[in-house]
Amino acid sequence: MGKVVGIDLGTTNSLVAYVRDGAPRVIRDSTGDALVPSVVSLGDEGTIFVGREAQRRLLTTAARTVYSVKRFMGRGIDDVKDEAALLPFTVSGEAGGVVRIGVGDREFTPPEISAFVLRELKQRAEDHFREQGEFDFEVDRAVITVPAYFNDAQRTATRDAGRLAGLEVLRIISEPTAASLAYGLDKKNRGTIAVYDLGGGTFDISILKVEDGVFQALATSGDTHLGGDDIDRVLVERVLAEVGNVPAETLQAIRKAVIQAKWDLSDHEHAEIRVESQAGLPNGYRRAITRAEFEVLIRPLVDRTLGPVRQALSDAGLEPHEVDEVVLVGGATRTPLVRRLVAELFGKTPHSDLNPDEVVALGAAVQADILVSGRREMLLLDVTPLSLGIETIGGVVSKIIMRNSTIPASGREMYTTSVDNQTAVDIHVMQGERELVADCRSLARFKLRGIPPMPAGLPRVEVRFQIDANGILSVGARELRTSVEQSIEVKPSYGLTDQEVERMLIESFEHAQADFDARLLIEARNEAESVINATEKSLRRPDFADVTAGELTKDELAQIDRTLADLKHAMAGTEREVIHEKTHALNHATRHLAEIMMNRSVREALAGRNVKDI
Amino acid sequence: MTPDSIPVSHVSTLECRSCGAGAPVDEHFCPQCSRILALGRHGDYFAFFGLPRKLTIAQDDLERRFRELSRKFHPDYYYNATPTERLASLERSSYLNDAYRALRVPATRIEHLLAIEGLPSTKSEGESGAAKVPPALLEEVFELNEELDEIREQREAGAEPTALASRLDAARAPIDRKREEHERQIEALSVQWDSQAESATPAERRATLDALRETLLERNYINNLLATIEREGSGLSALGPGPQAKSQEPRG
Repeated sequence: MGKVVGIDLGTTNSLVAYVRDGAPRVIRDSTGDALVPSVVSLGDEGTIFVGREAQRRLLTTAARTVYSVKRFMGRGIDDVKDEAALLPFTVSGEAGGVVRIGVGDREFTPPEISAFVLRELKQRAEDHFREQGEFDFEVDRAVITVPAYFNDAQRTATRDAGRLAGLEVLRIISEPTAASLAYGLDKKNRGTIAVYDLGGGTFDISILKVEDGVFQALATSGDTHLGGDDIDRVLVERVLAEVGNVPAETLQAIRKAVIQAKWDLSDHEHAEIRVESQAGLPNGYRRAITRAEFEVLIRPLVDRTLGPVRQALSDAGLEPHEVDEVVLVGGATRTPLVRRLVAELFGKTPHSDLNPDEVVALGAAVQADILVSGRREMLLLDVTPLSLGIETIGGVVSKIIMRNSTIPASGREMYTTSVDNQTAVDIHVMQGERELVADCRSLARFKLRGIPPMPAGLPRVEVRFQIDANGILSVGARELRTSVEQSIEVKPSYGLTDQEVERMLIESFEHAQADFDARLLIEARNEAESVINATEKSLRRPDFADVTAGELTKDELAQIDRTLADLKHAMAGTEREVIHEKTHALNHATRHLAEIMMNRSVREALAGRNVKDI
Repeated sequence: MTPDSIPVSHVSTLECRSCGAGAPVDEHFCPQCSRILALGRHGDYFAFFGLPRKLTIAQDDLERRFRELSRKFHPDYYYNATPTERLASLERSSYLNDAYRALRVPATRIEHLLAIEGLPSTKSEGESGAAKVPPALLEEVFELNEELDEIREQREAGAEPTALASRLDAARAPIDRKREEHERQIEALSVQWDSQAESATPAERRATLDALRETLLERNYINNLLATIEREGSGLSALGPGPQAKSQEPRG
């Protein structure tokens, strides 16, 4: 058996964490960065880039780069065509079917794109375990988090993504409840917690009751299309209103600039949106923005979170002041306006002792550990966010399992036939709170077959609906007079069939070599970049003139300039061997320079200090 | 197309699918091999919680039992178990959650008691026989409908909404009083049922159940009336903040 991890598969960033010695920890790369941008880019030769490298490619090859794919998980083209307009990649699909994402000459479903991100996280964890000297470093199982308000199709799509990445998905858990687990670890107290989770693309509010180590969700609500992405979009649209249409890469440069300004405004009253000269934007773009202006722009978005908060409180039968603790999760909760409004609503200062970006992954790791270790100190009892029902005569939905029911939950419904010797019945399963089929979400159509031939109205077919601890539905049926089990043919409305997942798995093995090559290329590039950065830093030092005047020869400097230019040139290509070779050359050429700099630094550090300090 | 449910024969013992031993139907774990038992055809939420068949339940005691049983059944703890045990854990947890939901709220608790005592459900009657007014409510319903008709007419004629709203409130008052009266009746009948548990004759107990069912039916009817008044009210205050909860569907 391999290792088990917890994964936060986010709209903007993803993370992986695990439990060691009873404590959860996130896995970082060599630079200490825990976040893997949920960005996937397709190279010219079919190589796949994931994370920071893919994010860089947004600025150069936007049309072959996919981000925010979580917004498309388990959804149909009709749901997403409006927002797809601003994205650099193409989004297509048949009405009522799965969304297809076009990148270059290839097409992917959202679970396939997410699987690339998951594979990257799996790899990162395996590298980490290998470095730790673990003999058994393979990661084969994971708990993956989803927004609490994800419906069945979105949860199933996430589970499919895990399978495609070669992970056994032990459990799908909701992000706010995962966060509460991470918070509950060192707090043995009891009470009512509200988790306000505003992530990159989704908003969740969950109300939980904690007692005797049981974390029981009382109610959950949210909006699966509301998050930091929308804040960015408001700012981007603001800039575009001034500069007009620009090419896709420039649009991404603007997006990057407004995100930076947004971050700056979390700590400062003033910031600047600053874009360097780009195609379609020859003079670049600069604009000062105050926090007050920013808050006016985003206020409508933040206000949209308040409706679900009130709904969840009312479903839990609580007044805001009855909530004992408020926990903030998700990068967008760093925005001062969000903190202020949440504090006002609940009348207390929200908690943010844990990093809001990392807390969900930590909780997922804890849940993974509970599952495999059998630890029983803690138990998470989650709820289903939406009511489950079936279509009845007249297009009306008959509810079978109500929203905010603790899961696992089950429901049953009796069916009979309307024609003599009828052997099959069609069943349409819906999710949502409204009365009419047209206003609810179609989950799946089932065909109930093998009913023993009998006069109309005589068969008594009991259909059992089971929502498991993942919040995912399964259906079983039995004719009660004969006790014959019925076969059920599932047609998920916005999901993949098992056969499709199998086929994608096979395809992904076929692409494994290309993906492996891509990884080596990325590693070569990252190494090259760090050598280039170190060299350029030395060249920019204020005392560099002294160095060239004395210690470093003209030939040496010329050699450095030449190899540096060579490596930069190689970086523009995709020849891994060339990049590797030129990196080595630059490393060699700068060896003397590095020694000189090192000695200078040591001298500087020692200068002006007396013996006592040393 | 919902046919009447066919009566399910009650089984008094379970067979452990892990070791084959027999177990009493209210056991959760096999007395022989101590593995979790498949649910079988359980039907009594009270017995499942180890509670007597009484309507007065201390909320914190019920919650404590719920947490304890959750810790015993939850699929989280059966990840490494056999498929048989995993299925049993899923079934038993689902059943526990359903049972807890039903027993937590007095109305659904009574509903469940009626069902296991063999009385027909009040739910199906409420839906299919919606037009049938309970005799005890005839007078109130007649008056309310007249008043609602008039309010609708006046609204269509363009009457002042605030005036109509206060008229609606006035029409609602007697219904609200009826509802409170029914709440008290249900409470009294519940206490009566609990006191009859040991001493009363089957006929006396049955009479209490019938009265409970009748009161519950009337109460359901009253709730429907109140919902109708709410809808009228929100139609009047279309410009103000309506009491209707907004749909919680994700966009799109």
